[in-house]
Amino acid sequence: MSSEPRILDTTPGGTLQERLRFAGSSIARIGGLLLAVLVIAGVFAVLSEGRFIGIANLLGLLRAMSTIAIVGMGLTLVIVVGEIDLSFGALYGLCATVLAVSWMNAGLSVYGAIGLAFLVAIAVGLFNGFFTTIVKVPSFIATLGASTLIFGFTLFLGKTQTYNPAYPATGRPLDPAQLSFFTGLSNQALPFGFPMQGLWMLGAALLFAFLLGRSLFGFRLKAIGGNPQAATLARLPVRKYKFAAFILAGMMACLAAVLDFAFVGSASPSGGQSLLFPVFAAVIIGGASLSGGRGTVVGTLLGALLLAILTNGLAVLRADTFAQQMLLGSVTIGAVVLDQLTRRSGR
Amino acid sequence: MIGARPTPEEPSLAREGVVIRGLSKRYGDTIALAELDLVAQPGRILGVAGPNGAGKSTMVKILAGEATADHGAITIDGEPWSSTLGWQRVAVVHQEPQLFPNLTVAENVVVGRERSRWLRHGVNASERRLLEEMAIEGVADRPLASVTLAIQQRTEIARALAQDARVFLFDEPNSALTEEESDDLFRRMHALAAAGRVVILVSHRLAELVAHCDAVAIVRDGRTAQVLAGEALTQEAIAQELVVGTSARDAELAAAAMEEGASMLRLEGWSHAGGEFVGVDLDVQAGRIVALVGVEGSGARELVRSMAGLEPATGRAELSGQRRDLAGASAFVSADRQASLFSNLSIGENLVSRLGDQISGPLGVLRRGRMASLARDAVDRFRVKAHSTSRPIRSLSGGNQQKIAIAAAIIGRPHILVLEEPTRGVDIGSKREIYRLLREYAAGGNAIVIYCTEVPEVFEAADVVHVVADGRLSPPLLVRSHDDVQGLAAEITRLERHGRPGQSEQTLAAAGA
Repeated sequence: MSSEPRILDTTPGGTLQERLRFAGSSIARIGGLLLAVLVIAGVFAVLSEGRFIGIANLLGLLRAMSTIAIVGMGLTLVIVVGEIDLSFGALYGLCATVLAVSWMNAGLSVYGAIGLAFLVAIAVGLFNGFFTTIVKVPSFIATLGASTLIFGFTLFLGKTQTYNPAYPATGRPLDPAQLSFFTGLSNQALPFGFPMQGLWMLGAALLFAFLLGRSLFGFRLKAIGGNPQAATLARLPVRKYKFAAFILAGMMACLAAVLDFAFVGSASPSGGQSLLFPVFAAVIIGGASLSGGRGTVVGTLLGALLLAILTNGLAVLRADTFAQQMLLGSVTIGAVVLDQLTRRSGR
Repeated sequence: MIGARPTPEEPSLAREGVVIRGLSKRYGDTIALAELDLVAQPGRILGVAGPNGAGKSTMVKILAGEATADHGAITIDGEPWSSTLGWQRVAVVHQEPQLFPNLTVAENVVVGRERSRWLRHGVNASERRLLEEMAIEGVADRPLASVTLAIQQRTEIARALAQDARVFLFDEPNSALTEEESDDLFRRMHALAAAGRVVILVSHRLAELVAHCDAVAIVRDGRTAQVLAGEALTQEAIAQELVVGTSARDAELAAAAMEEGASMLRLEGWSHAGGEFVGVDLDVQAGRIVALVGVEGSGARELVRSMAGLEPATGRAELSGQRRDLAGASAFVSADRQASLFSNLSIGENLVSRLGDQISGPLGVLRRGRMASLARDAVDRFRVKAHSTSRPIRSLSGGNQQKIAIAAAIIGRPHILVLEEPTRGVDIGSKREIYRLLREYAAGGNAIVIYCTEVPEVFEAADVVHVVADGRLSPPLLVRSHDDVQGLAAEITRLERHGRPGQSEQTLAAAGA
């Protein structure tokens, strides 16, 4: 009979095949992204006559992408759950400033100061979650407002100064043990000159890849982002998960701020303002959908790597800043266009 | 150009109306249309029926310009047609109109026409006449979102007439309309046909197909299986072409359900926080399917939703004799598939989307293998027509999507399964499957409550029916004490009209069940 159920996939090898196909579209996406990264790296390698693929430069790339990747992984969660976060740049500046002021001026230990910075990040995550899920202000507006609010508060708190632990404003030198702990967060001497921040990034990537791809949390995050209404009717914990996504995004911005502060040796309130575009670009190039329900950690990492390669490669070639900016903008739009084209033909 | 292949015995057909020849369309490895042929003549109403997944919706999509065919040709009045050549020639009236909800009714009629530069003053004399003809001139300045569905559909027709459309394709147009509204819609369809336009009606409702169509084409497996016309056009003939065949086991289970069972859900003095229903007392026994019927605004929908904890209500709610929070013990399936499925997840992921502990281990690790096996079991058990559980949910036909939506709720084994219009917009074959699915779940000792708007659904699916009118609940009617749908319908109408139900001779007590 024609209307009988037919062609059920019951072949013995079905399980593995099905498991692979569960992630089918994102695998194609990531393969394409990897290819793009390799091709662009190859082009730079040839153009720079090999300077680009020197070990030192490649390890430098790893460090250069780490800030964007770390913040981007947090943003990926928020975007997968169908929301948007525009406050991470300002929060990055706030966390660095809170750490600097409480440690260098208020006399807190560096450990307490780092803890305080993370508490502030969690508070901002709660703030974003509260206005988005309970007051129901669209997250675009809530976090845009939060961003400006936070930035203003950071300027007030930091008195618009730049802080350098080596030269505290109070004149009293900081505890040398604490100072070396702090600098060590990002400047530990590792074998082969491997950048410490790259290690932090890989650690965070493992955790987030598990969260998003291998845990119930990630599965539900995708469901909620894919159809919030259905998720509500199916009684998935929509609010709780959105809160969690905002909090984790805030904590990742804080982590990046602390690590960068430790690496550079100075912090200023406006530190994170330039992060907004590259982090969004990395997440979007990585295949996350702004309409929610789609995004991977590996994609975001590759997106960050692609941006780092472009920036670094152009710097090696001594391209002008305006050319870099124009290229980064085009690449971001191009990536989304390509994605839509392959998605359409895949149907 | 491929054009039509004129056959000797139908020379005039190739000249006039819509001629579809060899229309084919594949989605990946699913064949949606396999050389479909169809001829619709002007001045007549052609019905199209077929089981879900037969290719009807693909054909509608192609005619609406939402999809393009892989092969085949469509001609309108002998001229080759495609949506890029002249989309205005074909008007598709959907169940939910595809218009601009933020514009007014009149603006919707005129928007997009090149000659109107100023929307506000764009309604000319002929369009004014159209508005009058469609009886929507009174609401011309109201925003579309604020008028009823029936008026929105008439707006869509007026808009198509303003664009001088030749072909009117109605796709399940009245599944959300009241009876009077559908009668009116059918009158308009006949008027369109009488004016020499081509009218095609895609529907699942056999009675309406027989009553209003000059011929009915049965689409099955992507091609036209048969065209019924004249004497041969009867409900039985269509049903025979569509139905999968019903099992005797369903009847047995239904009979078993009427044996006195333990109370699963008991509501006492159950009132809506917003006053939509007041002082409802209801007892739902385990193993039974209870239908609640009521027009929009009667409180029936809110009452049903409150049993899933989705509407605020006060009063006493007992589950198996104990006071409990209903939300935790029930699962709810909306009438709107868009509100119950996750389009970014696969078929299998949708099936297990409501589960938690069953698909995760320590530390919240997702058990992918278990998800896949649960999904495969469910697809088998619920007879979903799917190639593989890892395909996107959108690759399924409407009826199969609905089965997935219900199966996803059942998999969590809720004590109370609450559904709204479980078979809205679903073909007759899938309908039976869904009723069977519900029957089996109830027989497992669970309670099912459904909100129905159609009496045939109550007759087919439920054991007991209550009518809700003015926020009050009627005593139960036994479905099986009525021999046919008409008898049950009459009784339901009587209860609806009287509001406060009086002494019904068909109450549960009187029937002595």
